Amino acid sequence: MRVSKVIASLALSAFFLSASSIPVLAGPGDGRKAFEAKKCGQCHQSEGPAREKTIKDQLAKKGPELWYAGSKFKKEFLERWLSDPRPIRPLEYNSLTKKNPANHPKLAVAEAVDMAAYLMTLKSVDVLDGAVVPRDNPKGRAIFIKKQSCYGCHEVTVRGNKAGGLSGPALTGASKRLNPDWIYAYMTKPKIFKPVKDMPDYTGYISDAEMKDLSAYVGGLD
Amino acid sequence: MTRDIMGKKALLAVVAVLTFFAGAGTTSALAATAEENYRFYCAQCHGLEGRGDGPNATENQPVSPRDHTSAKEMEKLTDEDIINSITDGGTATSKSSLMPPFGKTLSRSEISELKGLLRKLCKCKGKWLGRQGVLLKKRSDGKYLRQSGLDT
Repeated sequence: MRVSKVIASLALSAFFLSASSIPVLAGPGDGRKAFEAKKCGQCHQSEGPAREKTIKDQLAKKGPELWYAGSKFKKEFLERWLSDPRPIRPLEYNSLTKKNPANHPKLAVAEAVDMAAYLMTLKSVDVLDGAVVPRDNPKGRAIFIKKQSCYGCHEVTVRGNKAGGLSGPALTGASKRLNPDWIYAYMTKPKIFKPVKDMPDYTGYISDAEMKDLSAYVGGLD
Repeated sequence: MTRDIMGKKALLAVVAVLTFFAGAGTTSALAATAEENYRFYCAQCHGLEGRGDGPNATENQPVSPRDHTSAKEMEKLTDEDIINSITDGGTATSKSSLMPPFGKTLSRSEISELKGLLRKLCKCKGKWLGRQGVLLKKRSDGKYLRQSGLDT
């Protein structure tokens, strides 16, 4: 009886010891520590909700908010990008005249994996999983190119050549970077994610069905 | 007499309340100045000085953003055209969809103030308005100028 109790106790201890050493659990914790140690929060807001209320508030920000990063990005993209950051925006954040200096701090691969794991825990309840399946579709393409000319501000790659405007984040490679469910949520509930932004609010101009087609199209861009 | 005074007081009170609500509807605490809005939204395409040379005016775009400092170009538009274009985008005035709609982003008064700023940039007024088949232009004194003279 006593022996069986000891064995049970040992088994329980072994279980908790092994659980605490699972790398998946260590990743977000270490990533958060690195986020704080490197003072990433000086440029990136990591806790919601959105705070900006005026244009001045937005212009005071040094980098994009990350409080919904886990809903916006794909984990593999974050892991890769954090260890090899390449400009997504052609221009410096909040600037219309300066080229992106491409000077985002670079992390070691292991650190980037931990940081990505942490960022993926920053989810928004307003992004519904599985709402949009990324795919090239004629309706979404028509909205992107003809009806609303999204390429006017977002650079894309057409037949190997870059085309479009420079003020917004480029959408080349969006399929590897963005969660299409987030694109849909961002388009349909802009005030939740970014109440003040230089991209217009398209609700009412694009129907809900069109928003889904557009999000699927953008989410499938190479 | 007393009734007259009471009536005037009541009228004043109604006017005060209406003025308050009218003001609240047009100038929210978060509203930006026309200059702020222009530099934040419009300058992406039209440039910080309004010359149509913002960062989105790249060589591969099918049309160039309008030069807001060009009186020759801006005179072609009525004030209504400008307001409609800002509100519902270029397609509202049969122009390019590259001009996006800002009707859900900016308030009516902000759009109206932006129109005023554009008129300052071009130092021009809009083309003549067509009303009931007669070409008219509103003057600063509120009277309408007909092609053939004054029509009050």
